[in-house]
Amino acid sequence: MTAGALELDPRSAAQAPRRGTWQRPTPMRTVVVLVITAVLLLFMVYPAIYIFYGSFKAGGGMLGESSGFTLANYRRIFASGFVRFTLNSVLICAAATAVSTFVSVCAAYVFSRYRFRGRGVLFGAVLLGQMFPWIMLVNPLFVAYAKLGLVNSYGGMIFCYTAFTIPFSVYMLTGYLATVPRSLDEAATIDGATRFQVIWKIVFPIMMPGIVATATYAFLLCWTEYLFALAFLTRTEMKTLPLGLYQFFGDDRVDWGAVMAASAIATLPTLILFLPLQSKLTSGLAAGAVK
Amino acid sequence: MRGERLFIALMLAPAFLVLALFYLYPTLQNLAISLTDLSLLRLKVGGNWVGLDNYREFVTGPDFGHILFNTVVWLTLLSVALRMLIGLGMALLLDSRVLKRVRLSTIAKLAILVPWATPPIVAVVIWRWMLDGQNGIVNAVLKNLGIVDHPVAFFADLRTVWPSVVTIIVWNTVPLVAVSLLASLQSIPDELNEAAALDGAARWQQFRYITLPFLMPTITVLTLMSVFWTFNNFVYVWLATGAGPGTYTNVLATEIYIKAFVDFRLGYSSAVGMVMALVMAVFGIVYYRFLAPSELKDSL
Repeated sequence: MTAGALELDPRSAAQAPRRGTWQRPTPMRTVVVLVITAVLLLFMVYPAIYIFYGSFKAGGGMLGESSGFTLANYRRIFASGFVRFTLNSVLICAAATAVSTFVSVCAAYVFSRYRFRGRGVLFGAVLLGQMFPWIMLVNPLFVAYAKLGLVNSYGGMIFCYTAFTIPFSVYMLTGYLATVPRSLDEAATIDGATRFQVIWKIVFPIMMPGIVATATYAFLLCWTEYLFALAFLTRTEMKTLPLGLYQFFGDDRVDWGAVMAASAIATLPTLILFLPLQSKLTSGLAAGAVK
Repeated sequence: MRGERLFIALMLAPAFLVLALFYLYPTLQNLAISLTDLSLLRLKVGGNWVGLDNYREFVTGPDFGHILFNTVVWLTLLSVALRMLIGLGMALLLDSRVLKRVRLSTIAKLAILVPWATPPIVAVVIWRWMLDGQNGIVNAVLKNLGIVDHPVAFFADLRTVWPSVVTIIVWNTVPLVAVSLLASLQSIPDELNEAAALDGAARWQQFRYITLPFLMPTITVLTLMSVFWTFNNFVYVWLATGAGPGTYTNVLATEIYIKAFVDFRLGYSSAVGMVMALVMAVFGIVYYRFLAPSELKDSL
C-alpha cells in the first residue's frame, strides 16, 4: 500500500500523514475546510472566552458599551456575599467528593476483582443511577430532609452530592481497575499480604491517577450542580455558587457585569481542571461504554 | 469462602447504603406521596389519600400533551439528533487531511473542548447574553447583515424560544460526541480505506461501508446516553426560559419543580415524577435491548 502511495506522490508520503497520501487536497478543498473550521471554532470558543472579557467590563461587555478594564464587577459580587457562596460550594463539594471517592474505590475494587452472585445486578443498579431522573428524588428527599432538619444544612447537601456522584465514580474506577493486572494482587496474596494490605500497598498507589481523575470530575459535577441546591438551600448564607450566580438575574433587570464575573469564577476551575482530565475521561468512557 | 463473602459485603456496603437511601427509598416514598394530596405548606399535617386522582388530573389535563411533546420532541429528540449529526461532522472535520496538513488538528481539538469544560449553568448565562433581545451580539450581527429590522427577543418569541434552548444544549454537549467519535475514527485501520480506494471506492462509499459501520457502536451508546441525560435535564430549560414564556417551554422536569415548589402541590408533582419515570423505563428497555448482547455480557 505504502509503495503505491510513494509512486503516486512521493512528497506527501515523505511527510508521512496517516491516510490518503496518494491524493493531495485541492486548494479549493483546503480553503473550504479551513473556512468551515474557522466558523466552527468561533462558534465554540467565542462564547466561553467572552465571559472572561465581559467580567472585566462595567456592563458585562454589552455591545455599545465603551468602558475600560475594571475590577468593579468582582468587587461588587464579593461585597454581596459571593465569597460565602464560593466557600459553601468548596466545603460541600470537597466533603462529598472525598466520601464518594472513598466508598466508590471500595465498591469498584470488588466489582473488578471478584466474581460473586448478584454482581451483575448490583453493577447494573449502579449504572442505572447515571440515568436516573434526579428531579424525581427532590420531593421525597425534601419531605425527609424537612423531618430530619436537613434543609439548609451542609450535611444534607454533602449526602446528596455523595450519592449523586457515586454511580459515575464506581463506573469510571471499575474501568480503571480493569487495566491494573490481577497478577499483582495475586502475587502479593501469595507473599502473605492480607486483602486490605493488597489494596493499600499495591492497588491503591497504582490506581492513584485514576482516582485523582475520577475525584476531580466528581468535584466538578458537584461544583456546578444546581437542582438539589435550588430545592434544599433556601437561606442566603447557605447558598452555593451556582445559586449565587443566578441571583444576579433580577425579574426585570439583569446585572450583566456581576453575572459575567460570577460566571468567570464558576468556570475557571472547570477550565483548568478539565483539559488535563479530558483525555482520561474520553478513554474511560470509551473503554467502559463501548466494549 | 466465608471470609471472601464477608469482605465483598463490607466493601460494597457503604456505597450501596448511600445509593439505597438516595435512590431506592425516595423512589418508593415518591410513589406513596403521589397517591396523596400532600402540600408543601402542610408537611407536618401530612396529606390525605386520594388514590390515582393526581395521575388522572395530569394525564387528562390540558397541558399533558403539550408537556410530553416538549420533553420528547423538542428537548430530547431534536437536541440529541442535532448533537449527533454535528458531532459526527466535527469529528470528520478534525480528522480531515487538510487540517493535518496545515497542522491545525490539535488546536482545533483543544478549542472544541471549551464548551464541554463550560458548566451548563454558565453555558445558559452566555447564550442568554449572546441572544439578548436588546444588546445581544446575535441581534447585532443579524441587523448588520440586514436579516432583521428589529431585534429578536429570542427567549420571548414563541418561534425562536425552542431553537434557542436547543442551541444552548447542542453547544454545551456536542464536544463529548465529537471527541468520542474522533477517537473511534482514529482507531479505524488505514489499510481499510486505502484498500477500498485502490479498489475504486468513492469517498462516500468509503464513508458508508467502512467509516460508518466502525463508528456505529460508539454512535449507539452516545445516542442512548444522550437521550437519558437530556430527557432528565432540568437545568437548561429552567435557567434559560423558566418554562416560559408562560408555560410554552414547560417540560416534565420543570413541571415537577413548578408543581412542588411554586404551587406547593407535592402530591401532584410526585405523580408527574412517576409518569416521567415510566417514560424513562420505556427508554430503558430500548437501551437494554440494544446493548444487552454485547455490553452486558462483557461488563457484568
